[in-house]
This record gives sequence, structure tokens and C-alpha cells, in this order.
Amino acid sequence: MVKIFVLIKQVPDTHNLQINRASGTIIREGIENVINQDDFHALEFGLNLKEKYGGEVTALTMGPPQAESALRECLAMGVDKAIHVCDPIFAYSDTLQTTLVLKEVFDKIKDYDLIITGTKTSDSSTGQVPYQLSEALDIPLLTDIFSLDIKKNIVACHRNFGHESQNVEAELPVLLRVGRHYNEPRHISLLGIKNAFEAEIEMTDHACLNSPDCIDGNMKSPTRVTKTEKPEEMKRKKEFLKGSTSEKVQKLIEIMQGHSIEKIWIGKQHL
Amino acid sequence: MTEISEYKDVWVFTEIKDHERVDECALEILGKGREIADQLNESLVAIVLALDAEQYIPVIKEHGVDKIVYMSHVELKHYHEQIFTHLVFNLVENHKPSVFLFPSTEAGDALAARVAYRCRTGLVSDVLDIEINEESGLNLRNTEAFKPAYGGNINVKIITKTRPQMCTITRGTFQKQKSKKKDVEVEKVDYAYDTSNIKVKIVGTPTRKDKPSSKLSDAKFVIGGGHGLSSKENFDKLFELAKLTNGQVGGTRRPIIDGWMPEHLQIGISGEAISSELYIGFGISGAIQHVVGISDSKTIIAINKDPNARIFDAADYCVIGDANEILNGLLDYFTV
Ligand SMILES: Cc1cc2nc3c(=O)[nH]c(=O)nc-3n(C[C@H](O)[C@H](O)[C@H](O)COP(=O)(O)OP(=O)(O)OC[C@H]3O[C@@H](n4cnc5c(N)ncnc54)[C@H](O)[C@@H]3O)c2cc1C
Ligand SMILES: Nc1ncnc2c1ncn2[C@@H]1O[C@H](COP(=O)(O)O)[C@@H](O)[C@H]1O
Repeated sequence: MVKIFVLIKQVPDTHNLQINRASGTIIREGIENVINQDDFHALEFGLNLKEKYGGEVTALTMGPPQAESALRECLAMGVDKAIHVCDPIFAYSDTLQTTLVLKEVFDKIKDYDLIITGTKTSDSSTGQVPYQLSEALDIPLLTDIFSLDIKKNIVACHRNFGHESQNVEAELPVLLRVGRHYNEPRHISLLGIKNAFEAEIEMTDHACLNSPDCIDGNMKSPTRVTKTEKPEEMKRKKEFLKGSTSEKVQKLIEIMQGHSIEKIWIGKQHL
Repeated sequence: MTEISEYKDVWVFTEIKDHERVDECALEILGKGREIADQLNESLVAIVLALDAEQYIPVIKEHGVDKIVYMSHVELKHYHEQIFTHLVFNLVENHKPSVFLFPSTEAGDALAARVAYRCRTGLVSDVLDIEINEESGLNLRNTEAFKPAYGGNINVKIITKTRPQMCTITRGTFQKQKSKKKDVEVEKVDYAYDTSNIKVKIVGTPTRKDKPSSKLSDAKFVIGGGHGLSSKENFDKLFELAKLTNGQVGGTRRPIIDGWMPEHLQIGISGEAISSELYIGFGISGAIQHVVGISDSKTIIAINKDPNARIFDAADYCVIGDANEILNGLLDYFTV
């Protein structure tokens, strides 16, 4: 049975983010928290693999208590289990601290075949967690995959790497990193919603882990945000072109020529 | 434990691209690296791992380095996650740099994250600027990196309390600076790696992947399209214009969702950042996620039928009008 874990993170919905202009901080009130977009694709990928090979899909997140709603959403999408890694001491973790906690969690789980992640989170966009977890667990990370096959304990896949397209094989467990072009995440079914509310979410806190004292999100994260700022307003000319459409086109052509963009000869076409 | 004050020198992972040239972004970073090294009164060191690495030394010497540390071996022809991580981590262990900068490329991002984990140090990705933080005590001057967060809605300043202080930097953030130091020290380090440890086995012969024909990030002239073009048929005309003008097409997230454009042409926070001479945006609303990707273009033209479209705030020339009509007008001119 293939044991699949999908890593998800709840992030603020950055679509309509409001900034307090004076302080440069995000106005948190009224902001909806959503599942990080990439992670929907990771979930879909996990569910597809289960449909193909059987097994079990678990959604796992490390996050504050309100991240429970993200896990319920995963359950509604059809994952079998959900694990919520949550403890005040994990708060303010940067990537390294997040990785250290996730390592402890998987060391405790022990029995895992595939861990699927998204590529980046929209709140921090670091994209570091997949690589760092690969280091921490000492298992390979496969990225940019476009086909995948599991036979016994070997995963064979076709992937792009650098400027090569390669067929590769690795022994389970492996980490898979999924991008947005992989699939179209499914919608939630009514049955899913029912399951989502009935299912039990497994809680993991600091005490559950065999945690060394290197774990402390607030005190031991190596990076610290010292300031947040609204990006500088762009200083652009903002000159409105006037006149009829053809006059505007003419003006555009002049601007293009001013940037050395000229007609190029591409041969006689319809002869 | 090594004291923080024992970490010295500014390192740049000077990536070799396609085993034939020094990565442009790495050269740009050397420019910034020089500045930081001067302010910290430390040396700027280029780290090179490649096949026949010696051939790149002359070019690197022209970019202000004090020292080049290199390894040369056939196994270093392509980036390999396990080999590069092992070797670069060993270099860090042996020399203890205070700052280590990486180009944000497929290899650079991966290597930086892995090495940072092994060092148990912080890594700030895609920084916009690096300054020296004067307040953080004694001789332990921290670098302070600036990076966008929350989809480019805010910038955050970040210090790294541990060493080395690591950052990745995207193409176009800094400028190349040509300068040549008198006595550039060159040190060759022997290659050693036990390849029996390798976990991902390549089966058969890899083929050279079709690179996307466009190199958006390098293009001088970029033609951007958005949802306002209203159909695939209209959107296709952008490609026609691009062919006639030697331009490159890119666009917002919307035409990808609409199925008008492939994903790798997305410009913005989750796509490519461009730094073209000229960018023309057709029917684009100007969401911040898109605008951050075009803001390094020298001149920006925006065409939108809505006089209040946000894209106009980011543009040098603004055209209120129907994007399709303007596009047809341009095509008429460029089609002989
Ligand atoms: C986490 C996250 C990451 C994202 N990353 C990116 C990214 O990297 N890149 C990106 O582009 N987007 C990104 N987006 C999406 C982004 O927020 C916007 O939704 C997107 O850029 C809007 O695309 P658009 O301007 O083409 O479409 P719309 O917002 O629909 O705008 C269409 C515009 O066309 C105009 N218009 C309509 N008809 C005409 C006409 N006939 N002539 C002229 N103008 C016309 C309208 O007035 C309107 O302003 C991201 C979103 C999120 C949440
Ligand atoms: N706190 C977290 N809990 C679970 N998964 C996470 C967490 N943070 C990051 N990830 C995973 O790592 C991916 C990349 O995140 P990041 O490196 O933070 O940009 C995400 O798409 C998730 O799959």
C-alpha cells in the first residue's frame, strides 16, 4: 500500500490584500485564509496516484489552530487522513525551523512512501521547504516530472532537469514537487463535505515529537524580519496618448522605432 | 561552535550554464558582492564547479573578485544535487564565509536551500537589495536583505542571525561591474565524491530538452497580453506581431487559465520577471502580481479600454482604447 503524504500550507488570500499604508503591514482583519494554490495541485496529484496505485493519502500541515479549516477542505477533496502539526513553540518558524519540525514529524511517522509538496507558498514564496526536507530526511526530491510509474519500491519517472529530459529511477521513499501546470484540482463533492466534518484530525504537538531543543520557531529561526514596507510607488511617466485610434497607433510605432524596433524581413509570404 | 566573528568573506556561487558560459546573473551578483565586501572589508570570492573550469577564470577575473576557488571534473559538467551540495558544503565548512550569494536559477535555488539546511543557517530568497545593518552590534555586522512577500504586496527586510548569511538573487536585480583587481588569487580544490551514494539513477540516455523557444527574461522587446484581448484568435495576433518585430510574447495569468498561452510565458510573481527595453501590455488590468514582473522594463506602454485601469500607474505611455484595434493597426503597419 502506497503511503502518500501531501504537505499543504494555509496562507492569507493575497488576491485582495490590503496594506496599512502608514505602517506598511498587512491588515489581517477580514482576510480570508486559503490553501496555498500550489498545494491544491499537490493534493490532486496525490489523489490521482492513489486512484492509480491504491493506498492512502494524508494531508499534513504545520500551522496555527485555524489551519484546521484547510485540513477539513483537504478531507472534503478526498484525502483519507489529516495531520495537524501545531504548537505555540512552532509559531514564527522560518523555513529552516519548519523543515526541522517536519523532519521530526516524518521521523515519527516512519512509514511513508511519497511526500508531495507544492513549489512555492504565496505568503513567503521561498520555495525552500521541498529541498530542505529532502536534505533533512535524506531522500531524493524529484521536480519537473511529467510522468511517473511506481513498481514495488521503485519510482520511475520522466523529468526535466537542467536542459535535459531524463528517465530516472529512485527507491521509495521520495519527495515529489508539483507545479501548477500538472493538473486541474478537483472540486469538492457533497459526500466529501460530509466526510470532512466527521473525520478526526490527528494532532501533533511538540511533546509528541522526539524534539531536540533546536526547535523553537520564535527564538531559533535564523532569519528575522526587521521591517516591512510598502514597495515604492513606481515613478513612471504616465503620459496618455491622444487622438484617433490611427493616431495612437502612429505614436506607438514612433515609440517602438525609438527603441530600435523595426520591421524585419521574413520573406515573401503568400506567393 | 565557531564564533560568528570567525566567518569571513563574501562568496558568490558563480554558476556555469550549459557547460559553456558563466551565468549572467552570477556576474551581476559579483558586482553587488564587490560592494558588500568593500563595506565589510572582506574579500570577494567566486566559487566555480565545472567541467574544464579553468576556461572561465579570465571572464570571472574581470568582475572585481579577489579570489577564485574552483573545482574541475567531468562529474561537474551538469549540476547534480548530491555532488554539488556535498562539495559546496565542504567548502563552507572549511573556509567559513560570512556571506554566500547564489543566482536564483534551477541549480542556484536548489543548491542554496540544501547547503543552508546543512549549515543550519538562514536563506533569504529573491532579494531585491542587500545593505549592511549597522545596528546589530560589535563587529557582527549583519547584512540585511530586502525581499518581496505576500505576492509583492509588501517588502520585508530580513537579517540572518547565523552564518553564513545566504541569499538567492534573480536576474536583473543588480548590475554587472567590470573591474579588475591586480592579484587575483586562484585556488584549485581537488574533486572527491563517492558516486556509489547517488540515489537518483538515470536510465538510458537523456535527450536535450527542447528549451522554450522564448527567453522572456532576456528579451529586449516583450509583447504582453491579458484577458482583455477576449479570445484566443485575438491573442494569437500577439505572436504574429512578435514574429514581425523580433519580440517575445508573454502575458498575465489569465490567458493561461483561458488556454490562450502556455504557462511558461507567464510574467509576474509566479512567472518570469522581464527587464526589456520596451514592454507593451494589451488588455491587462495591472494586478500587482503581474506588475512586479514588468517593473524592470525600461519603457512600458499599456493599452486598456478602462481609463482607471491600474496598469496605467505602472506605464510610461498609456493608451485608452480597444486593445484589438490597436493591435490590428500595428499589424497592418508591420505586415508589409
Ligand atoms: C498568488 C497569486 C499569484 C499570481 N501570480 C501572477 C503572475 O505571476 N502573473 C500574473 O499576470 N498574474 C498573477 N496572478 C493573477 C493576478 O492577480 C491577476 O488576476 C491577473 O494578472 C489578471 O490578468 P489580466 O490583467 O489579464 O486580466 P483581468 O484582470 O481580467 O483584466 C483584463 C483587463 O482588460 C481590459 N479590457 C477588457 N477588454 C478590453 C479591450 N477590448 N481593450 C482593452 N482593454 C480591455 C479590462 O479593462 C481589464 O483591465 C496571481 C494571483 C495570485 C493570487
Ligand atoms: N508549514 C507548512 N506545513 C506543511 N507544508 C508546508 C509548510 N510550509 C511549506 N510547506 C510545503 O512546502 C512547499 C513550498 O513552500 P515554501 O518553501 O514555504 O515556499 C509548499 O507548497 C508546501 O507543500
